[in-house]
Amino acid sequence: MHKKKFNPWPYLLIAPALITIFAVVFFPVLNAVLMSFQSYDLRRPSQIRFTGLANYAAAMHDSLFWQALLKTAIWVVVGVGFQFVFGFMLALLLNRKFWGRGVVRSISLIPWVTPGVLIGLMWRWIFDGNYGVLNDLLMRLGLIHDKIPFLAQQSTAFPSVILTIIWQGIPFFALMLLAGLQGIPEELYDAANVDGANAFQRFFLITVPSLKNTIFVTTLLRIIWVANSVDVIFNMTEGGPAYSTQTLSVYVFNKGNTLNLGYASTMAILLALALALVAVPYLKMLFKAQEESK
Amino acid sequence: MKRKLVFALMAVLSMMAVIAVSAQQKPVTIVHWYWADNPAYSAQMQKIATDFNATNGKGITVVAQEYPWDGGAYSETLFRAVMGGGGPDTSSFKLTSTPLFAANNLLVNLDDFLAKWKDKDKIEPSLYDTMRKASGTKSVYVMPWNTQVLYVYYRPSLFKKAGVTVPKTYAEFLEACKKLTMDTNGDGKIDVYGFGMRGAKGGQEPWGSFIWARGGNFDDLTTPQAIAGMQDFIDLYKNGYAPPTAPMDGFNEIIANFKSGKTAMTIHHIGSSIGMVDTFGDDVDAFAFPGGVGRWTSMGDTENIILKSSKNKEAAFEWLAYLATGKGQEAWCVTTGNVPVSKDVQQLPIFQNNRFMKVSIEGAPYAGIFPILDTTTEWISTIWPNTVAAALAGKMSAADAMKQLQKGLWGK
Repeated sequence: MHKKKFNPWPYLLIAPALITIFAVVFFPVLNAVLMSFQSYDLRRPSQIRFTGLANYAAAMHDSLFWQALLKTAIWVVVGVGFQFVFGFMLALLLNRKFWGRGVVRSISLIPWVTPGVLIGLMWRWIFDGNYGVLNDLLMRLGLIHDKIPFLAQQSTAFPSVILTIIWQGIPFFALMLLAGLQGIPEELYDAANVDGANAFQRFFLITVPSLKNTIFVTTLLRIIWVANSVDVIFNMTEGGPAYSTQTLSVYVFNKGNTLNLGYASTMAILLALALALVAVPYLKMLFKAQEESK
Repeated sequence: MKRKLVFALMAVLSMMAVIAVSAQQKPVTIVHWYWADNPAYSAQMQKIATDFNATNGKGITVVAQEYPWDGGAYSETLFRAVMGGGGPDTSSFKLTSTPLFAANNLLVNLDDFLAKWKDKDKIEPSLYDTMRKASGTKSVYVMPWNTQVLYVYYRPSLFKKAGVTVPKTYAEFLEACKKLTMDTNGDGKIDVYGFGMRGAKGGQEPWGSFIWARGGNFDDLTTPQAIAGMQDFIDLYKNGYAPPTAPMDGFNEIIANFKSGKTAMTIHHIGSSIGMVDTFGDDVDAFAFPGGVGRWTSMGDTENIILKSSKNKEAAFEWLAYLATGKGQEAWCVTTGNVPVSKDVQQLPIFQNNRFMKVSIEGAPYAGIFPILDTTTEWISTIWPNTVAAALAGKMSAADAMKQLQKGLWGK
């Protein structure tokens, strides 16, 4: 019997990619997992040692951890939810033919292409309690009589950063959903018109089902990105005042910044697990829906 | 034969001299990190490096690289860079970071360099003692550069309008904060606040003066005296004598508020004085934070260090010496208005005749620093601003806030 000759080429060709991914993804992740089991605090290098689940136990007793987790849930649900709603509305608008559509499409991308750090700084000044343009606008419109220190009081700081992340993420949804909308055959709408379907029925019986996969993938991506986002909050409030805007990723960043890498890694892994809890059922639903549609 | 021997000897000596000179002048590059509070300071540091490169005569080229101070995050940026195998040869530095860098064995011991340095005595011996104390050893690891003593900036015209004189006691200061909070245009709204409070990172320095004025100190933040100081701080905000944005106001905000006339007093050091005079001319002055039961103000310190990873430590020390007592010291302190550490530079007329320098010197006897612990950086960057923000918002009592601050700093 002729034995098949081993061909090393496929392995050699994918080796650089695999090595790179291992070096820049798997190795740091592995390192973070290992650090989460150690008292890895660079301020006390002589005390770095294996501590088992001590960091995880500490996180369970850390009220700031639970507060940050709750903030993360609100941040993601409200942030991504409104990004989706407004993104969808924008996509429907941009899918219509009107004069200057190309320009409007380009302009609508500005929040998405602007770096998060810049967005944070820009909105920090917009919301500024002394010189911010938002206060000025609201006062000129007669909606308020005294300036509101949006980012300096706990009741308004978190809604302010959520508003900013909504503004940033709308174009992403608009872009992805617009691409999906353009892939829906016009005949479906023509047939629905012949059948006497109204706009509401056309939207929920043709548009939404046709975009189901796009909606699944884009929302999942945004959930992960927004949950992990640090730049906008950090540049606007650094998690304050009084930890009122501190999501889990910002807490991880702050802890990492103060060099308690063991505890920061622990919280990062707990955040990853929490995201996996959302992502796995979500992907299962997606694959199931794809199977059913075949 | 004798002549040949002399020629040979001369030739050998000449060659040795050439080798020695060329070895000494072997070009070396020193990468120096620093922060600057504004573009003028930034330009000055670049000029100092250029001047040093042109005049040192030892083939040393300093490349000065600027990084933001970012409310103290500079130290962490530097630490991460060095731990990651990068970073500079030398860097500007704050004493509070000494435990972190010393614990990780990143600093060069300067004792041998100082022993051989001819200008060593141009710096007050007490400053070397402070450097030793910060390291927790008998050695000097950080090179003194300049100091800043916090004091109160005020607007004489606003004092006149409010009928307030320069406070001489802590009680008078609190009263001045109240009286200086004014509706100047009669529209029923406050448009000048008495005190430009700093509630964000870095605000612990002016806050410390309130704690001490009531007789408290940093060893135990839970004493009734310390709590009373905290209560005063809270009351200034609660009673509306500080801008509503105070919990998130950092350096940029307090300076902008003062310069725009929104606040009548604010606390910072001489480093801001040039900008203040540019804005107000003679309508800005300063006084030392007044005493109550106790008296304290923050001594901002800035030093320079040599990192152990540097391959050119001798050249690095030459550069630090230039900054400490050479032309670099004079140039930097003249531009920034910081208090020089060189006794010679202190005697220059430009410093002797400066009204802000006089106030700095007046405050120097009771100026101090926060306890230098391995918890201090986290306490400054995260724990203090968030705890104080909660207390200012009324979500936490002064006593609870101080208990939390005590735990964050001392661990108990």
